[in-house]
Amino acid sequence: MTVSSVFSPPGFNFSNEVRNNFMTEKGLPLPKATSTGTTIVGCLFKDGIVLGADTRATEGPIIADKNCEKIHYITESIRCCGAGTAADTEFTTALISSNMELHGLSTGRKPRVVTAMTMLKQMLFRYQGHVGAALVLGGVDSTGPHLFTIHPHGSTDKLPYVTMGSGSLAAMAVFESGWQPNMEREDALKLVKAAISAGIFNDLGSGSNIDACIITEHHTEMLRNVEMPNERVQKERRYGFRRGTTAWKTENVRNLIVKEEMTFVGGDAMDTT
Amino acid sequence: MDHVDWQRLKTGEVNLGTSIMAVQFNDGVVIGADSRTTTGSYIANRVTDKLTHIHDRVYCCRSGSAADTQAVADVVHYTLQMYSQTAGQPPSVHTAASVFQKLCYENKDALSAGIIVAGWDKEVGPSVYNIPLGGGLFRQPWAIGGSGSTYVYGYCDATYKEGWGRDETVNFVKNTLALAMSRDGSSGGVIRMCVITEDGVERLFVPGNELPKFWEGHEVLRAPVGMKKVAGETGIVPMAVEA
Amino acid sequence: MTSIGTGYDLSASTYSPDGRIFQVEYANKAVENSGTAIGLRAKDGIVLAVEKLVHSKLLVPGANRRIQTVDRHIGLATAGLLADGRHLSNRARDEASSYRENYHSPPPLKTIADRLGLYVQAYTLYSSVRPFGISTILGAVDKDGPSLYVVEPSGVFFGYNGAAVGKGRQLAKTELEKLKLSELSTREAAIEAARIIYLVHEDVKEKEFELEMSWIGEETNGVHLPVPKELMEEAEAKAKAALENFD
Repeated sequence: MTVSSVFSPPGFNFSNEVRNNFMTEKGLPLPKATSTGTTIVGCLFKDGIVLGADTRATEGPIIADKNCEKIHYITESIRCCGAGTAADTEFTTALISSNMELHGLSTGRKPRVVTAMTMLKQMLFRYQGHVGAALVLGGVDSTGPHLFTIHPHGSTDKLPYVTMGSGSLAAMAVFESGWQPNMEREDALKLVKAAISAGIFNDLGSGSNIDACIITEHHTEMLRNVEMPNERVQKERRYGFRRGTTAWKTENVRNLIVKEEMTFVGGDAMDTT
Repeated sequence: MDHVDWQRLKTGEVNLGTSIMAVQFNDGVVIGADSRTTTGSYIANRVTDKLTHIHDRVYCCRSGSAADTQAVADVVHYTLQMYSQTAGQPPSVHTAASVFQKLCYENKDALSAGIIVAGWDKEVGPSVYNIPLGGGLFRQPWAIGGSGSTYVYGYCDATYKEGWGRDETVNFVKNTLALAMSRDGSSGGVIRMCVITEDGVERLFVPGNELPKFWEGHEVLRAPVGMKKVAGETGIVPMAVEA
Repeated sequence: MTSIGTGYDLSASTYSPDGRIFQVEYANKAVENSGTAIGLRAKDGIVLAVEKLVHSKLLVPGANRRIQTVDRHIGLATAGLLADGRHLSNRARDEASSYRENYHSPPPLKTIADRLGLYVQAYTLYSSVRPFGISTILGAVDKDGPSLYVVEPSGVFFGYNGAAVGKGRQLAKTELEKLKLSELSTREAAIEAARIIYLVHEDVKEKEFELEMSWIGEETNGVHLPVPKELMEEAEAKAKAALENFD
């Protein structure tokens, strides 16, 4: 056997593409990737950026995770919301986060939001849209607050308020009517919550709870499940069956504990004095 | 659907279904663009800046795929930064356009990018270069591009004259773009313009509610004889119903 | 040279204790043994002239040219090892065509001189190679007008109004300094160039020589060309006449 089989190159692996195409041709399609439905938003306010996200992850018609985290860590003062293929957003943001840490170490400065944006767009462009990550990137650096959207093919936009994912239309409607320049922190958070709620309630791909993250120059506040509008309530009745509901004809009780007998074969017992 | 639908991924691409323009005049160039970026039927950005800085006195107007044109512009920006550092002087507009052309031609199978490069240099003064889809390179006194441009070729042919000054050229660009945006569904929003001269780059902005207005059609719809005018001053009348 | 025989001159990749690289200095010696080459930057053009020593009467006239064309508007003259000159001119042509490929425009001479300088310098770094035994005069009329550079065996290059390399460079420089180069037409400069080459040859006068001369200017439409026959004859006649007056 050769040793080469244990080598795994860094980054994404597309070595099964040809095989998968062949199998698809023969009528065996690929399984669907997790989560394309999402609502993520970002919004500029007086002292920084508020990011928001819902917490639903879907696999086709099934909700795979009712309370997942879509606001990813890039650096202490830069965060990134991910929509699209869950695995892709997870691994791309993790990779860029790692590279940003190294970049900060090698330059001796706090890395900037544009740096993360450039790394992300160059990576996504290299993969020509096959890495299905649609991102909202926000943060505060030495040059002030910045907010970007990054599409799977690698195009970017810089705007004061942004939305992405299947719920982006609903969320954008909220922003377009409610956003104003120089908003206060609390008003901005309220607006972001309203935008995510619009996604949760009006978009099938989005749901469950609201995550938010407020980034200012000196502090980043991660508000996990800042609102939980879909909590399971106490059931009005119990649906368990009462003891003795089912009748039986015979009873047979088996002992599940295995009995073992020890027999010494020759020799003396060890001297342990 | 029992196979991977690559076409759908393709349509998810962000498009600059666009109206862009650049015109040369006596001592500079005026470039302009609408501000609409679309994904399918959704406007992903209604205030996009498609006039992209390449060097001190060279800008480009981008049309086609947003990702492709941004990537190409970034590469050219980097190349010319290196060029000016080694050559000790700023690149000419022709040099910038040539770098664009090389990238667009050599990667024509992978790119959808229609780019207009314009600016000012000390060799020839103002100049405009058009780099359409296949990666050709054409110097033109004026150039239009993007999906909206097809609607206004006639207007440009009929209107453009040599020897204009700054203000006449700015008006020409503003009017052409307004006309293109009014007919092309993929174009719209605001008009952004840049005037590039030896002295510097001046940015101009026309909000969506202050676009130049042209004939919009209402006075043609006259009320049929004997029909009462609808309330208000609009003059718009419902279509007559046959008896 | 105090360090001779101590082994510090065996490789270009070793410094001597006083910080010199002998192989580069020896390369300069190879240049000094060669026939003189000069370049003049006139008002509207460039003239290159070379004193080509003919080491055999059997040689075809015009053989072993030492002035070459790098690009339409760039000429190159070398003093030193002939083969090194031809190698470097090939490299210069590659650099010029790569510039044209990338930017669709004629390369400025400074860029070519810069790249050749880097190339020549690389040959002073490794023990496996020998530095170039040539000094190269580059002349061109580019978008900034006429320009003239000399690339030395060490890889450094300087811009000049008048340049001279090779055996008779000292006398040639003295003569060049007397000229008002910025007021001279290219045609006048060609006549002066011929005179200087004849003069420096007279100073040494060991072998037969051929005058090789090229120019770039308004009369050539910005193209690097050999000086035409009639001007060559006029220049040579005047040069010979000047020599007689000089004596």
